[in-house]
Amino acid sequence: MKKRMIFLFTLLSLFAIAGYFCKDNALVTDFAHKNMSPCLAYPFGTDWLGRNLFFRTFRGISISIFIGVISASISTIIAIFLGTISAFGSKKMDAAITWFIDLMIGLPHILLLIVLSIVAGRNIKGVILGIALTHWTSLARLIRGELLQLKASIYIQVAEKLGKGKLYLFQNHMIPHILPQCITGWILLFPHTILHESSITFLGFGLKSNQPAIGILLSESMQYLVTGRWWFAVFPGCMLVFVVLLFYHLGKCLQTYYEQKSGE
Amino acid sequence: MRKKRIFFLLLLLFSLVGCKAETKKSMEEKEKDTVIVTMPVSSEPEAGLNPVYGWGAGEHTHEPLIQSTLFVTTNDLQIDYDLATDYSVSEDGMIWTVSIREDAFFTDGEKVTAEDVAFTYNTCKQNSSVNDFTMLHHAEAIDKETVVFYMTRPFSVWPYTMALVGIVPEHAYTSSYGENPIGSGKYILKQWDKGQQMILEANANYYGNVPAIKNVIVLFMEEEISLAAAQAGQVDVSYTSATYADISVPNYALYSVVSLDNRGINLPAQPKQEKDGILYGNDVTSDIAVRRAINLALNRESILSNILNGYASPAYSICDNTPWYQDAQVPYDLEQAKELLDNAGWTLGKDGIRSKNGVRAAFSILYPPSDSIRQGIAEEFSNNMKEIGLEVTPECVGWDTAYDLAQSQPLVWGWGAHTPMELYNIYHSQNGENARYSPYHNKAVDKYMEEALKSTDLENSYSLWKKAQWDGVTGIIQDVPWVWICNVEHLYFVKQGLTIPEQKIHPHGHGWSLLNNVDTWTWQ
Repeated sequence: MKKRMIFLFTLLSLFAIAGYFCKDNALVTDFAHKNMSPCLAYPFGTDWLGRNLFFRTFRGISISIFIGVISASISTIIAIFLGTISAFGSKKMDAAITWFIDLMIGLPHILLLIVLSIVAGRNIKGVILGIALTHWTSLARLIRGELLQLKASIYIQVAEKLGKGKLYLFQNHMIPHILPQCITGWILLFPHTILHESSITFLGFGLKSNQPAIGILLSESMQYLVTGRWWFAVFPGCMLVFVVLLFYHLGKCLQTYYEQKSGE
Repeated sequence: MRKKRIFFLLLLLFSLVGCKAETKKSMEEKEKDTVIVTMPVSSEPEAGLNPVYGWGAGEHTHEPLIQSTLFVTTNDLQIDYDLATDYSVSEDGMIWTVSIREDAFFTDGEKVTAEDVAFTYNTCKQNSSVNDFTMLHHAEAIDKETVVFYMTRPFSVWPYTMALVGIVPEHAYTSSYGENPIGSGKYILKQWDKGQQMILEANANYYGNVPAIKNVIVLFMEEEISLAAAQAGQVDVSYTSATYADISVPNYALYSVVSLDNRGINLPAQPKQEKDGILYGNDVTSDIAVRRAINLALNRESILSNILNGYASPAYSICDNTPWYQDAQVPYDLEQAKELLDNAGWTLGKDGIRSKNGVRAAFSILYPPSDSIRQGIAEEFSNNMKEIGLEVTPECVGWDTAYDLAQSQPLVWGWGAHTPMELYNIYHSQNGENARYSPYHNKAVDKYMEEALKSTDLENSYSLWKKAQWDGVTGIIQDVPWVWICNVEHLYFVKQGLTIPEQKIHPHGHGWSLLNNVDTWTWQ
């Protein structure tokens, strides 16, 4: 299990780093080699401006991972913060936050994302903000539930009776308990953020078209599919699905790992 | 019993097939005077077929079809009569008198009178936000056949405006006119299913030649769907673009129309300064040597073949091939471009990019989203400029911010209209300061254009428009506040058997212009 996790993690890190080195190559236009179908020199083919789709796809994946890291982190922090307040605050505060979580879950993600992204100016900042502010809800609810359960559990109550302070309880009993949940939650947020980033970019509300994001690659390909240039869409699309699956597996592995560990 | 039933069913099926074949045959016969044409979704007029709200006018000028106009532009963009039979203009250019023909009737049977003309123009002046009518004070009918236009300033190209405005009937003009237009034009609007199609029917009482094509069906659809419709053989004319032009569609031939639909890039001709929160000017392109070098280093031919697959012609001005065009052709000459920059003090740095007095020769080239042609032009422009040591970064911006950003950064624009006023709109200064879309001001150019507008003779005004471009000493051609790249050809898949006669050079916009002469199309 551990080996597999390390393998997945290394693979994903490699993708992220590889994209960084493709940064300049992804933008080079070469009209002598436009619309080339996949071959040895261009494994993913080239587009109508002669840009190398291999570099563009990897660059796109790394942009997606980058956006994923930042927005999933912000989301997780918001979730921990609100979940904790909800569990330890007054009844009214708890009711307010629970109501707010319900409200956010009730709203369609994609609509909220589009609105936030437009407000923040249709750029990388807007996408990160949009995703971060919409994806924290279920994790917050989970953390709240865990903490409430912990608060009622006997060993915590005993510790409290023994005169331990709230801070001590939080640091030594609560955090170790919810940390695995948070990390798993964080990893499992990635597939969502990456897919949502691509979809709003595809719809034209996300990143600008001079950035080779996966959503941009896919929306650019739409025009050319009728002309039979399948490689414009297939490779970026498959890579997107592949990376999303990798993250999903990593999250699942982590979950099982922690479950086994707490079972031991 | 069951066998009988099956037999009966089969019989029914066969007879149905027979019916279908028959209707198909009669459809084909009918098709001889019917055409089905596709157009981009954006060509569907939002305000309906109402000339007051821009039908036929505005950025994408075309003949209004439903209505008739006082004048028309000919295939080579000279002025000819339509409803008008004669016109004169006063010495000071402030009063235009136009007499109109007596045999024109609206489709509801009423005669077209000078009152209708005056009403149309006065209503346009009050309501039009699409066309500029500020030069018109008011229009007045002095008798049934004569209308007089009183101007606020001399405007020699007024006939070009009069060639755009469809005449509406005063007695039948209501707020819903756009949906139920009544005109005196070649066609009648028979049916309009919003978001889908428009069906036009020939006007049997038209005063000119009654159209040979009796029914025109216009379908509004996206480019890919339009292509699919042609591949399925469902339409007669399907609009397309250079992206799809290489696909061969059986039974269809590619038809291309020369256009004024140009692509050009503005080069802010003024040093950077801020005013009201907007940046105006650019420290690199404000140097005339840089602008001229850019014009020389632009490899128009390679842009045409690489990005437009050859379906375009190189452009050197905003008005190539018009009667008011002054030859502005420049060669592709990298050496001369480099020499110009060297002499102007732009020295090459270690990274291959020039600089002068600490100013790096770098700027952005902006292009609008979801326009792969303009994106390609921006990319290729950037590649061209790199060769002479200018660092140009392509950047995508939406139209909501593009106009403001273009005041300080070059943008890939599209223009092209059937009037010399376009020169004025692009190059003439506003209130003696800067031109509207990109900072530029040349007093001599301004003066020629003002004189051209004051001229009472159209022929004479053409030569003044030309002088504004180059008078032997100064002019737009020498100042290069914009560089022009190409005139895009408008492409269509046309079904075999349909002949489209020579078309008037198309303006910017890939829509209704095609139907300018639909009445003369023929089926074999």
